[in-house]
Amino acid sequence: MSQEVNNSEHETRFKLTTDGWAVLVALALALLVRIGIIHRVPW
Amino acid sequence: MAQGSLVLPRIQTLRPASKLLQLVPGVLLLAAIGWLGKFIEQSVNAYAKAHHLHVPNIEYVLWAILLGLAFSNTVGIPALFQPGVATYEFFLKTGIVLLGARFLLGDVLKLGGVSLGLVVLELAVAFTLMTFLGKWFGLKPKLTTLLAVGSAVCGVSAIIATKGAIDADDEDSSYAIAAILALGAIALFTFPLIGHWLHLSDRAYGLWAGLAVDNTAEASAAGALYSDAAGKVAVLAKTTRNAMIGFVVLGYAIYWASQGQAKRIEGKLSFLWQKFPKFVLGFLLVSVLASVSFFSKEQIGNLANLSRWAFLLTFAGVGLRTNFKELKAQGLRPFAVGAIGEIAIAVVTLGMVLVAAKVFLL
Repeated sequence: MSQEVNNSEHETRFKLTTDGWAVLVALALALLVRIGIIHRVPW
Repeated sequence: MAQGSLVLPRIQTLRPASKLLQLVPGVLLLAAIGWLGKFIEQSVNAYAKAHHLHVPNIEYVLWAILLGLAFSNTVGIPALFQPGVATYEFFLKTGIVLLGARFLLGDVLKLGGVSLGLVVLELAVAFTLMTFLGKWFGLKPKLTTLLAVGSAVCGVSAIIATKGAIDADDEDSSYAIAAILALGAIALFTFPLIGHWLHLSDRAYGLWAGLAVDNTAEASAAGALYSDAAGKVAVLAKTTRNAMIGFVVLGYAIYWASQGQAKRIEGKLSFLWQKFPKFVLGFLLVSVLASVSFFSKEQIGNLANLSRWAFLLTFAGVGLRTNFKELKAQGLRPFAVGAIGEIAIAVVTLGMVLVAAKVFLL
C-alpha cells in the first residue's frame, strides 16, 4: 500500500512503510493502555 | 486509502528529527480541524437542547470533512502544512488497528466471512462492468484497468500498486485517481442519505459502505456518518476488500505481461506478500488480544477512544486533500465511466447486502 521505499538505489537501510509505522504505533499505544500508563482517554 | 496524487510531498535527504518536525504543522492542522468539527457538533447539540430546538444531528465526521473541504478549496494548503496533512493515511491505519479492540474474533470471522463472500461477488461485478464501460467510452485499455481496480478493490492505493505492476502512464493513473477521489467525495454525502431513506440497519449499511465506497478513508467516513456501529462494520468490510489487493494486482500484471506490455512477475508469493496491506494483520492481532481478555473492559473503551481520535484526524485529512479544481482539471470521460460504474456497483452491492442482511440476520 504505502510506497515509502527509499529512492536512493544504493541505500539498503531497512525502512518502515506507513503500514509498519501504523501497526507499531497502535501496538505501542495498546501496550501503554494495558500497563496503565494511559488510563483514561476521553472522547 | 493510499497517498493520493494531490497532497504528496516527498521528504528526502533529511534527518529523522527534521522529518518529524516537518510533519508538526500539518498534523496540528488535522487535529485543529478534527477537534473543531467535534466542538461544533457538541455546541450545536447543546444549543438545540438548551433552546428546545429540533435540529438534525450533524456528526463531527461531516463537520470535519466540510471544514477541511472549505479550507483546501479556499485558502489552499500552504506548503508548510502539506507533509503533515499527508499523514492522514497513517492515522487511518493506526485507527483501524486500534479498532480491532472493538471486535471479538467471532465477530470478525462472522462479519468478515460474509464480507469476503460479498467482496468476491463485488469484484466480479466491478471488473466486468468497468471493462465494458471503458471499451464503450473508448478509454485506453490500461486506464480502464486502473479504473476497474480502483473501483473494485481499494481506491487510490490499488491504482498506485497496479500502475507500477502494469507499466501504466502517469497521466492514466492521475485520471483514475482523480475519478475515484471525486466519486468518493460524492459517496460521502449520498450514501448516508440513501441508507436512512431505506432504513438500513447499522450492520447492513456498514457492509454496503465498505463494499461500495472505494477509498478506505472515505468508506470509513461514510460509515461513521451513519452511526458509530456502522462505521465499525464499514471498516471491517473495507479491510476485507483491501486484503484482496495483491491477488487483483497480480492477476492484471500477469494479463498485461502476457500481452507483452508489462514486465513478468517473478516470485508470485513474495509479490502477494509485498502488496498485502500489513495493517490488516495488526487489526487481527489486536482483535485476538481483545478476544482472549488481554484488555479489561475499561481498557477496551480507552483503545476505542484512541481509535476515534485517529479517525478524527483522518476525516479532517479527507476534506483537506480534496481539491475540486484539481479534480475538475482531469477531464470528463474517465469521470463519466467511473460515475456510471460506481452507481451500478452501488446498486448491485446494495442488492447483495439486502439479501445477505435477510439471510444472515444482520
